[in-house]
Amino acid sequence: MRFNIIKYPIILLALILLQKSFISVIALSKLNITPDIVLIAVIYIGIKEGKIGGSVYGFFAGLLLDILSGSFVGLLALAYTVSGFVAGFFKTEGDRFLSKYNFLLVTFICSLISCFLYYGLYSRGTSTGFADVMLLYVFTSATYTTLISMVILVIPKRKTLERGFTD
Amino acid sequence: MKRIGLVILDLKEYIILTVLIIFSLYFIFSNDNSQIRFLRAVAIGTFGTVQSGLTAIPNVFELQQENKLLRETNIKLANEISNLKESKLENIRLTKLLNFREENKLSFVSGRIVNKSLVQTRNTITINAGEADSVFINMPVVTVEGLAGRIVSTGRNYSIANILYNKDMRITVKSQRTRIDGILMYDGLQNLIMTNVLKSADLTAGDLIITSEYSNLFPPGIPVGTVTETGNLDNLFKKVVITPAVNFQTLEEVFILKHLPDKDRADLENSYQKKK
Repeated sequence: MRFNIIKYPIILLALILLQKSFISVIALSKLNITPDIVLIAVIYIGIKEGKIGGSVYGFFAGLLLDILSGSFVGLLALAYTVSGFVAGFFKTEGDRFLSKYNFLLVTFICSLISCFLYYGLYSRGTSTGFADVMLLYVFTSATYTTLISMVILVIPKRKTLERGFTD
Repeated sequence: MKRIGLVILDLKEYIILTVLIIFSLYFIFSNDNSQIRFLRAVAIGTFGTVQSGLTAIPNVFELQQENKLLRETNIKLANEISNLKESKLENIRLTKLLNFREENKLSFVSGRIVNKSLVQTRNTITINAGEADSVFINMPVVTVEGLAGRIVSTGRNYSIANILYNKDMRITVKSQRTRIDGILMYDGLQNLIMTNVLKSADLTAGDLIITSEYSNLFPPGIPVGTVTETGNLDNLFKKVVITPAVNFQTLEEVFILKHLPDKDRADLENSYQKKK
C-alpha cells in the first residue's frame, strides 16, 4: 500500500507527460478524437484501490492536466474524479475486472462518463448541439480510449510471470 | 455520537467524492470563459426558479426574526409618535401662554404643577415656584383659560394653591353679560355653585362668569367659568351651576399673578367688621 502511494503518482505523472507531449502521435486529429491514457490509469487505480483511491487520484491527475492545459481548470478534475469513483465499484477480490475483457468494459463505461462530463460541460454555451457532442466526441473518444486500454491486457501480470518462472 | 461516527465512516467514500466534486466545481466556476458564463447563467436561472418556489414556504426562523425586528421598530415608532404628540401639545400650550403673556399687563411668575389633588373636598395644587420667585400667599393662580385658584402656602421653591374645587374658596364673581354678582363656591361634591343670586336675576346657560371688582383677592375681569345650569334654590335665590374655564384634569402649567390684596382696604374692612 505504501509503495502504491509512491507508485501511482509517479505513473500518473509519467502518463500526464506522455498525454501532453506525445498523444498527438496516436490522436485522430482530423476526426478530433484523442485517446486519454491518464484516464485509463485512473480507472485502473479505481478498480485496484476502490472508490476513494480512484476519486482522489483522479481528482489530482485531472487537476494537473487542467492546469497544464490552462483553458478550463477543474473540468477534467471533475470528470476523472467521477470516473475514478465509478471504477471503484468494480473493485473485487482477485481483481476480476482487471483481467481480460472485463477491464475493457469498465474502461468503456468510465470513459463514457468522463467524456460525457467533459465534453458535455465543455460544449455548453457553444453552437454545437447535444447529439453532435455525443456522437462526434463522447462515443468516439470513449471508444478510442477503450481500444488503447487494450495495451494493459498485453502487459503480463506479476502472478503470470512468477508462475512462468516456477514452471 | 458513536452512531454518527459509524455513519460517517460508512459514507466516507461519498463524502470524499462530494468534497472533490465541490472542489472541482469551485475551480470550474473560477474560470471566466463563455462556457462558464453560460453555466453560471443556467445555474442562476435554475437556482432562482427553485428559490422563488421556495419563497412560498414560510421560513419560521426568518419570520420570527422579522417579527422581532418589526416589534422593535413598532415600539420605537410608537415612542417617537408619543414624543411628537407631546411636543405638539406642549407647543400649543406654550404658544397660548406666550399670547397670554403679551395680553396680560400684570406681572406674573410661571410655574409647573408638580402635584395636585382633585378628588377631595379641599383640593390643591403644588407649584414649582416659591418665595424665591416672589410668590406669596393670596396671590391668584391663573391659566390662559381663566382663574385656577389662590396661593395658600409658600416655601422657598414651591407653593401650594387652593383650586376652585376647594370648600375654603370663596370668590366674588359676576356675570359678564348682565353684571349680576354672586359668590362662587365649591359644594364639596362635583359642582361649582354661584350663590347669592336672586331668583329674578338674568342668568342663563352659557353666560360667562368673571371675577368681580368687589373682590380684594383677585383682579377683576378674569374668566372663571360659564353658567351651565340654573334652577331655584329656595324662594329667594337661584341655584346656578358653573363649569370652570380651567380644565383641572389636564392642567400642567400655571401663572401666579403678582397681585396682592390691597392692605389699606383689607385693614379698613377688617376694623369695620370688628367694630360691628
